[in-house]
Amino acid sequence: MIGRLLAALRKALNPGRVLRITPVGRVYLLLTVGIGLGALNTGNNLLYLVLGLLLATIVVSGVLSERVIWDLEVRRLLPDGAFAHEPFTLRYELTRRRGQAFALKVKESGSLDSGGAWAPVVVAGQRVVVRCLATAPRRGPWALKAVEVSTTFPFGIFEKIRTLQVADSLLVFPRRGFACDPPARDQNLLRGDTGGSRHRDGTADLADLRELAVGEDARRIHWRKTATTGKLIAVEREREERRQVTLKVNEALSGDELEHACEEAAGQTTLLLKDGYDVGLEVGPRRLRPGHGALQERRILSALALAGYGEPT
Amino acid sequence: MSARPPGVISRDLAALAAFGAVALPGVLPLPVLVLFPVALVSSLLNVRPLAGRRTASVVVLLLIAIALFGAVALSTLDLVIAAVSFATLVTCHRMLAEPTPQASRQVLLSGMLLMSGGAALTGEVGFAVLLVAFFLCATWSMAWLVLSADEASVDRAERRAITRQLVLGSLATLAMGLAFFVFFPRLSWNLANRRAAPGIGGVSGMADTVRLGGGGDIKTSARVAFRVSLIPDPRSERLERYWVGRHFDVFDGAEWTSSGTPAPPAPAVSLHRTSQRSLEQVNQDFELTPAYGSRTLVALDTPTFFARVRGLSISGTQPMPLVHVPGDQIYGAIDANALTYAATSDPGPRMDRTPPAQGGLTLPALDPRIAALANELAAGATEPQDIARRLERELKRRYGYTLELPGDVKDPLSDFLFNRRAGHCEDFATALAVLLRVKGVPSRVVTGFFGGERVGARYVVRAGDAHAWTEAWLDGAWARLDATPDTGRPGSTGPFAAAIAAAWENLEEWWRARVIDYSIQDQLSFARQLVQPPLQPRPSKAAPGAPEREVPVAPLALAALGGLLLLLALRRARRPSPHPASAFLDQLEARLKARGVGPPAPLEELSARLTREGHPLAPALARACRRYLEARFGQRPLDAAERAALLAPFETSNR
Repeated sequence: MIGRLLAALRKALNPGRVLRITPVGRVYLLLTVGIGLGALNTGNNLLYLVLGLLLATIVVSGVLSERVIWDLEVRRLLPDGAFAHEPFTLRYELTRRRGQAFALKVKESGSLDSGGAWAPVVVAGQRVVVRCLATAPRRGPWALKAVEVSTTFPFGIFEKIRTLQVADSLLVFPRRGFACDPPARDQNLLRGDTGGSRHRDGTADLADLRELAVGEDARRIHWRKTATTGKLIAVEREREERRQVTLKVNEALSGDELEHACEEAAGQTTLLLKDGYDVGLEVGPRRLRPGHGALQERRILSALALAGYGEPT
Repeated sequence: MSARPPGVISRDLAALAAFGAVALPGVLPLPVLVLFPVALVSSLLNVRPLAGRRTASVVVLLLIAIALFGAVALSTLDLVIAAVSFATLVTCHRMLAEPTPQASRQVLLSGMLLMSGGAALTGEVGFAVLLVAFFLCATWSMAWLVLSADEASVDRAERRAITRQLVLGSLATLAMGLAFFVFFPRLSWNLANRRAAPGIGGVSGMADTVRLGGGGDIKTSARVAFRVSLIPDPRSERLERYWVGRHFDVFDGAEWTSSGTPAPPAPAVSLHRTSQRSLEQVNQDFELTPAYGSRTLVALDTPTFFARVRGLSISGTQPMPLVHVPGDQIYGAIDANALTYAATSDPGPRMDRTPPAQGGLTLPALDPRIAALANELAAGATEPQDIARRLERELKRRYGYTLELPGDVKDPLSDFLFNRRAGHCEDFATALAVLLRVKGVPSRVVTGFFGGERVGARYVVRAGDAHAWTEAWLDGAWARLDATPDTGRPGSTGPFAAAIAAAWENLEEWWRARVIDYSIQDQLSFARQLVQPPLQPRPSKAAPGAPEREVPVAPLALAALGGLLLLLALRRARRPSPHPASAFLDQLEARLKARGVGPPAPLEELSARLTREGHPLAPALARACRRYLEARFGQRPLDAAERAALLAPFETSNR
């Protein structure tokens, strides 16, 4: 009983909303106090009238802004891939059951550095998707817990902020663009009949279908599959060369060294896959067999993102 | 010329309303009056000559500020006028600069300053219109500044939703602002108070001296100086009566002062001027408003008794002792924002028999033409009474009335009598008093009020009713003489002007009674009415004793209730009505529940289950289910007969 009372009291005392005074609001309040003092000092009823309207504006501003951020649901729409130190798009879906909301700014509440997504109007029953750019300062799993919804509607005097608990987890891949030169071709890794005279005659058995890499021979295109999927699909045959690379990251490393290694492995993965290599990965006990394609790249980047982390934090 | 952001036009209109509020009393310097319209038109045309010239324009503005406040320091410009002039210039400056959100907010904030300056400068009902206009335009502009914080566009439907919300918000703010106005405690600290606001001070008639000359015009003010109830009640709409305040008996050629010395403070003052008390004394209950601006007590005709004085100040209402200055005045001993007191007067003329101090004949060195004029005007009269009446009549006949002051002249009395030949009540009162003394009749000048109009059960007397007249010592009593032409007396107007003035008065009266003179006493009586309705019926409105400031609580409450119900009805009407087929579904489900067919499930599932189980109601339910789906989604509505037929198998009596 007492516990429930305390919980109710705590809820009443902490309604999950914060009120901030904007710079123009500070001047407004200062003027209101000045006019109030003038009215009290002189007893001039017209000053009381002006004061009454100024005070009413403050109260109505509070009520309207409360209506705006009340009864608001926010769903976070996460990006397919996010890389550390690189802006990525975060989307929020805003809905409300009743009334309208105006001049909403949505941003992440936490260490993720996000700008604000702006929604001028949200009408009941409509889904409004807004977007903003965010940047993760490190790779790894990010537990996104809450979203800050704020508004300065209607008069810009106050900013009312409500924190909504919206739990999601975002996996941030290592930073891109940092890689050393690609490794030299390792002749020992060549497989199949690449040494034979007919290894490129197109008559060998079909080994795999994959997206055509940039700069690759157009004769490899499998036109029927390309027409079906809408993407340029290349054929790999048994006798063609299979260049495989397995990247190894020493998970015993820590701190910047581990970050460096992960970023380098991520960079190499992207470059090698683009060059048509099959790329595998070894991170501590985890092993990914060499493969190619966007899915393989995502698998490798995910493994690299998780290197050094146990469970998502 | 750049594109105009949203909210800039409403910002400019708000600035116009704010400027109107300070321009209304006509006290702004001409350059400011000219500059603002130019800036407004330029801004509305989206021509912004100060864009990109911030530093230079701010320097110019600072120089103007130095000039303005320098003029204040040299006492050539009033502080409030300087402040609103500078605020107007700042508003112009920001309007002519780049229309950024920051500049727009600065325009609105300086507009707020202008409105409060207007509140200090004027008491006109027009201020209310301008205040509401400013408020609506400013809130609109502020809201659009918030909504256009991002480049995201707003479509027409969204704009409509925003407009609806802003209109509702504005109306709510107006209503709440009025509520604040009504209930905010009226406590006047009176710290560093200005003696009179420029432009609205009027002539209360209660200054320490009566000084002739000066420049400009006398501003008449319609502010209520005091309210009074009379017993017995004269029951007339207008009172043509004199309210006596102060007497002045020493004249130095330009200024009247009093020779009286104050007696120790006392709770009541009895004057006992008459040899025998009149049986027709008039009892008066006074309320001197803050607009009265003085501690001098007034009373009708010949005051005889003052008591029960209470002063209203920050510490509340408290009893106040009185100071009697014989031959001059009676005043409250303590500063207060407003006073209430009781007074008694003898209504008849010539009831004051207090002998004149210093003989009442002392005169300074006068223009020799004045003595000649006295002889000329009183030619043929030998008795003091005849001399007095003749001088009064001739002054009234030969001289005109004007509110225009003569300016700084060396001898204002001679200037009035021989050059301008027109003046205001103090000129006439002075002239008559001096001419009487020249002719050897003791005289003095009296200041107070003339008139009074009935409002409810009481009479109100306004600051513009302030008046000055003369008293002459005739046959052992002071007789009242008023040489001011009738057209110049307060409240005297022609019939046509009176009709127009009456119509305007009604509007102004409402404004003044409800707003300008709203006091803590009104608050208390309003609160008392709210918590404790009067037990006794109110006096009939047909009778002159109708309640003066009746707050129609019941109609207001009914109107509020009606408004609330209308709002609810509108909201209900806007809510989408349920599909007619849904009502059929509700009836069907209720009957199934009554028949114990369950557990609850969607109708299609229930129908399928009953069919599988071979339930006797299954065929009827399948029919009903199919028709419901057709009616709900297939554009085949159900009529009442078919609905009854479909529901009939599920009636509990068919079990």
